Amino acid sequence: MQHEDPRNGESDHRSSKKPKLSSKFITESDIRDEFSHHHPRVARINNGSFGSCPGSVLTAQRHLQLQFLRQPDAFYFNTLRDGITASRKIIKDFINADHVDEVSLVDNATTAAAIVLQRIGRSFAEGKFQKNDTVLMLHCAFQAVKKSIQAYVTRAGGSVIEVRLPFPVNSEEEIISEFKKSIEEGKSNGRKIRLAIIDHITSMPSLVIPVKELVRICRAEGIEQVFVDAAHAIGSVKVDVKEVGADFYVSNLHKWFFCPPSVAFLYCKKSTSSSDLHHPVVSHEYGNGLPVESAWIGTRDYSSQLVVPAVLEFVNRFEGGIDGIMKRNHDQVVKMGKMLMESWGTNLGSPPEMSAAMIMVGLPSRLCLNSEEDAVTLRSHLRDRYEVEVPIFHQVSKDGEEGVRDKDGFISGYVRISHQVYNTLEDYEKLRDAVNQLVEDGKTCKMLYTE
Amino acid sequence: MNSTSISAAVTPQPLFITPAEVCSEFSYHHPSVARINNGGFGCCPSSLISYQRQIQMQWLRQPDEFFFNQLQPGMLRSRNVIKDLINADHVDEVSIVDNVSTAISIVLQHMAWGFAEGKFHSGDATVMFHCAYGAVKKSVEAYFVRAGGYVIEVPLPFPVNSDDEILQEFRQALDKSKQNGRRVRLAIIDHVTFMPTVVMPVKQLVSICREAGIDHVFIDAAHGIGCVDVDMKQIGADFYTSNLHKWLFCPPSAAFLYCRKSNQSSALHHPVVTHQYGNGLATESSWIGTRDYSAQLVVPKVLEFVNRFEGGIDGIKRRNHDAVVDMGEMLAKAWGTQLGCPPHMCSSMVMVGLPACLHVSSDQDSWKLRTYLRDKFGVEVSIYYRPPKDGEVGPLTGYARISYQVYNKVDDYYKFRDAINQLVHDAFTCASLPDSYIRLV
Repeated sequence: MQHEDPRNGESDHRSSKKPKLSSKFITESDIRDEFSHHHPRVARINNGSFGSCPGSVLTAQRHLQLQFLRQPDAFYFNTLRDGITASRKIIKDFINADHVDEVSLVDNATTAAAIVLQRIGRSFAEGKFQKNDTVLMLHCAFQAVKKSIQAYVTRAGGSVIEVRLPFPVNSEEEIISEFKKSIEEGKSNGRKIRLAIIDHITSMPSLVIPVKELVRICRAEGIEQVFVDAAHAIGSVKVDVKEVGADFYVSNLHKWFFCPPSVAFLYCKKSTSSSDLHHPVVSHEYGNGLPVESAWIGTRDYSSQLVVPAVLEFVNRFEGGIDGIMKRNHDQVVKMGKMLMESWGTNLGSPPEMSAAMIMVGLPSRLCLNSEEDAVTLRSHLRDRYEVEVPIFHQVSKDGEEGVRDKDGFISGYVRISHQVYNTLEDYEKLRDAVNQLVEDGKTCKMLYTE
Repeated sequence: MNSTSISAAVTPQPLFITPAEVCSEFSYHHPSVARINNGGFGCCPSSLISYQRQIQMQWLRQPDEFFFNQLQPGMLRSRNVIKDLINADHVDEVSIVDNVSTAISIVLQHMAWGFAEGKFHSGDATVMFHCAYGAVKKSVEAYFVRAGGYVIEVPLPFPVNSDDEILQEFRQALDKSKQNGRRVRLAIIDHVTFMPTVVMPVKQLVSICREAGIDHVFIDAAHGIGCVDVDMKQIGADFYTSNLHKWLFCPPSAAFLYCRKSNQSSALHHPVVTHQYGNGLATESSWIGTRDYSAQLVVPKVLEFVNRFEGGIDGIKRRNHDAVVDMGEMLAKAWGTQLGCPPHMCSSMVMVGLPACLHVSSDQDSWKLRTYLRDKFGVEVSIYYRPPKDGEVGPLTGYARISYQVYNKVDDYYKFRDAINQLVHDAFTCASLPDSYIRLV
């Protein structure tokens, strides 16, 4: 829950001669203020999709926006480039990269995927790669990444292997085993795997993937390059790019790192080929390295890339800084997941150690969630009727495979709940009660279409 | 207006925005800067900034709801407003992107696929003017040349005296390429060049392209909408792009890319690929991942703002043009120099020759002078170095690109006039500033 006020017990104001201890850390009331712009009645348990940004960072952003508008030429010549470099330096230290040249700031992970995949596509078009050389990705990769592969790799003649991850999952070993199998399949027929795209935390269903081990396997199997799509990582799990060992690593800063929409960092390990990465929007900075290209892609509002120092100030107001936030988010989301699971008689989609600040919780089978449309409908219904914002996943049952059951049938739907510093117990109780109400009323997803 | 009638007097609302209101809308601009470089980054009135903020807060308040219910309809509304403004046939022809640089990359990436997929052949060419914007040249290098294409550059005569001078250069370049047996696949033509700034005779240039059988004609009108007349059907190009934040008061940043409906146009893609891939460029561009789309959503309000001015955007354009010509002539007279083109070939910007004694003798000098004017005199203006041609005697090598927008006052130009006169008086030359004076990397 919200950070416990360290001054508990010190509310005695009678001895006025004693100096009042100023709180070292942010208080519950401060946090409420910081997120007072959130819709007051919505149980906001989908931080994973669009993230969140505290008021003090928004204020810092506004200040920068106005500075630009006031005298844009002076801002462009004197402030912009240095400001972005300062942000990049902070990120470099945070993620344990060697050089600030390895860190570019872009709009979002989707843009980073396009940057990496455009280069792969070019390698096919320019004959560096052969037709049918392969790109490997997880079956549950984010839809934008899949489409980017289609747009740049498949179109240029490359082929794709999808690794099917088990879900629900019980251990990292299950994932590692599937991954190894897919690499074998990929290498059969003499195909060369040019790039592996691995999520650090998958989006739907959400799982923390053992990336370090998977990257090691990729290297051992001779996969040329590895791209870790860690859209959800920074602010959610520890990010150490040297430890992970990938060639490319991207994470959004607006999801779990309190930046305003939107900004992400793309880490590119220094190598002979990293100089051939380009931002797809070309400006006069073309050829000066990806970080410099990305820092100027024409006139735009770059303020979200400039507020990283203000964000650092914000997270350091919390006990333990970002590490403290991550730990508390994780503990709470697991606790809330278990509370929901027990109330609904269902399951968790993964063991706690394979979740970060999000976890999948099975929905009662009586809701009869049997398709993507059902999931969308249920989600809209929860938003419109119960003011609960939570994404919903439809688990496709595989032929002949035993799924997980509750007392009434197979569990085919999951909610992906999140916990961020602004959440309260009431948010999850609201979700719990909404789902229980639907079950009690005998509602199935199909019935909700007409409501 | 008789306000002493017997019945309760009703104060009539002013029909149009008043000078005081205009002043107030831009009162947040730096008060001591003579801001005569609107062509650089544009401007945005306070009321639109406030409206934009409301949209931003709506998103932050409940982003999922905004994403599912508000975003797409809002983008469609903006696209419809643009469609009407530019006289396009279908809203499908109108995509909104961040800026012209993005639009350029979209079209050129499409051309690169043309080479990769065998529609174009190695050595096929693009033709563009030598003074094309730096980002455009780099985009051509990154996509067109890299894929095997060749570039034909057409010199822009400057100073220029008539449309014919430009048309002649263009025809010559095309004739030459025809003689060399080179197939020209793409023409990139500025509607208003950026440096030196001149309004190009686009309609005639497009006709010449059609006669010459050039596959695609692409108009880079970064300074188009709000600055010159923008009529897609009249101009007749295949692709046309213009920024909305330069001369149409949008907050940074938004631009439109018009793609005339054809069997080709469905093949264009935004380089940042999302789940919308394949649903048409307009739809792809309206979702390129989580970002702040507010600048693109304020377009309907922008139209409301310009319609508070007499004559709407046309009235603004006309008055800006007349004023910038007046101011340009005032400066040229004060300095004993000249304008870079006749009035009918300029828009809301005009090139004014700088006194030769300042010795602007390189691009470096132009940057130094610009920085000096900003730092020492509080004047923000773009400076252009015009290399002398062989055989020229005592040509003007330095020009200032002045702009006029609704917030400008005559004092801005007096400030500039006096600054230059001061420099002349002090026998200043660009060489007196060290190269390190420019704070550019």
